[in-house]
Amino acid sequence: MTSNSQLAPPEKAAISVGFMRLTDSAPLIMALEGGTFARHGLDVTLVREVSWANLRDKLVVGKLDAAHLLSPLPMMTTLGAGGIRANMLTGLSLSLNGNALTLASALWDQLGLGDASRPAALATARALKGRLEREPGQPLTFATVHAFSTHSFQLRLWLKAGSIDPDRDVRIIVLPPEQMCDSLARGIIDGFCVGEPWSSVAVQQGIGVVAATGHDIWNNAPEKVLGVTEHWHNHHPATHLRLRLALMEACRELAEPARRREAAEVLSDPRYLDLPVRVLVPSLTGEFGFAKNQPPRWLADFLVFHRYQAGFPWRSHAQWLLREGCAMLGKPVGDDVCQALVQRCYRPDLYREAARHLGIASPSRDAKEENRHAAPWEFEPGITLGPDLMIGG
Amino acid sequence: MTAEIAPAVRVMLVDDNPARAAMVEERLWGCGFEVSLVIPSAAGLLFQIERIRPDVVLIDLESPDRDVLESLAIISHHNPTPVVMFTQEDDPDYIRQAVTAGISTYLVGGINPDQVKPIIDVAIAQFRAFQSLRDELHSTRVQLEERKLIEQAKGLLMAHQKIGEDDAHRLLTKLAMDTNQRLPAVAKTVLATLSPKTSDKGKRST
Repeated sequence: MTSNSQLAPPEKAAISVGFMRLTDSAPLIMALEGGTFARHGLDVTLVREVSWANLRDKLVVGKLDAAHLLSPLPMMTTLGAGGIRANMLTGLSLSLNGNALTLASALWDQLGLGDASRPAALATARALKGRLEREPGQPLTFATVHAFSTHSFQLRLWLKAGSIDPDRDVRIIVLPPEQMCDSLARGIIDGFCVGEPWSSVAVQQGIGVVAATGHDIWNNAPEKVLGVTEHWHNHHPATHLRLRLALMEACRELAEPARRREAAEVLSDPRYLDLPVRVLVPSLTGEFGFAKNQPPRWLADFLVFHRYQAGFPWRSHAQWLLREGCAMLGKPVGDDVCQALVQRCYRPDLYREAARHLGIASPSRDAKEENRHAAPWEFEPGITLGPDLMIGG
Repeated sequence: MTAEIAPAVRVMLVDDNPARAAMVEERLWGCGFEVSLVIPSAAGLLFQIERIRPDVVLIDLESPDRDVLESLAIISHHNPTPVVMFTQEDDPDYIRQAVTAGISTYLVGGINPDQVKPIIDVAIAQFRAFQSLRDELHSTRVQLEERKLIEQAKGLLMAHQKIGEDDAHRLLTKLAMDTNQRLPAVAKTVLATLSPKTSDKGKRST
């Protein structure tokens, strides 16, 4: 462990960091409220944004210094697949998992799964296939919050596992997170895959039932990252390092259950998520409710900070996310382009630099096997990783 | 101006500020635009766009619906719509940088009603120019890919039938005429039939 005096001074101490109204913004908010940024010599202003497009654009034009970002966005923005092209990178993954796939209660009742116990994600997907075959005249619409998000990819994986073609058999649209529950209640959409707390809101209102958690679909998927532009990183390496150090400490603290309860209180504040504590608790504590009249279940890995090397930006994750994003666009990328983009956008070297300062052991290789392990496993001596299976093989 | 002859440009305005929206709407009508719909954010923008199919959407930069609009451009199967964004941010530098950086549309500082018309006109013109450039690029790319397919099929035929390039080309053309298909389609069939099975490079199999 090193003290801050051994670090280069920040090139810029007063910085703005963007976040969205989601429970996985906890590391940023807790680092600010707990004084962790200040201890690392940073005067951080958190800026709440209403759309990923706005967050990304402000990052690109330098209005924000860094941001809480969907894990595929560094690659997709560098590729120019969204509204704007800019070189973007991450040296720190903020969280694993945390999404849920929720169906409208009316649709859930048509699946014939009963409500006695929680069926497996594969069973819910197959039951949906049955419903589509029984009533082909009633097409279904699902929503996610962004095309290039783990939410989209997880929804598609789940549908495919149930032998449902995500491009032909159902309709997938993008809606702002705040509109999800209202659209579900009004029957405009039949289900959604989003980050928390929006599924918990639907469950507590009694308008939706969770058919699968993000973790059920892809164990320990990379969810949000700390995104910066390459240009900003090159001009502010010391500020960037201090930012990663503060957030890694905040993530490590958030691995403690007591800190999670505290986070639910803090995030509830009007300046942050501006939502009741009761809808933030399920995802943060892992006491997760799937349907209104069922007791919650304890899911240790519902939303992971720090554990299983959660902060490490695996290039194997980046590669999968990039390929999936391009496949969705119908424009597959070649191996060379893929490798070049992944190396540019996902920077494990930056993670290791910060981990060394904090005395945290980090993986020595940049990529790992995906879709192989059903239980926690040892990657290298002293480096334990979580399960990494994907639904449907 | 030929505004009375050409059909009016149909604008959809998305604005949470009713007073400003009313002012802008009035100005738009005054400039000869048809304002098809004025909605606040969070009012089902996606469905309204499908229903109304406006020629241009005028939206607040700070609207949560921006991701919706972008998704239409990214994965939509219907025609993308030009989008003009406005912002309350009194920061000309941000706007200038945003435009330079290529945010697909124009940003109107503070949505001054007097500036609305020229900016919409420019945005639509710029959008059309960009679309035609993109279509052109797409067709060039398709042509190149088709040519590559034909060359590969010829190569395979030459090796397989022990014939020269001219004969291979003649054979392909004949196949195309006999089956009433385009040359690239025949090339694809030849490749699928004759080439050794390549291993699947995809990550997943279901």
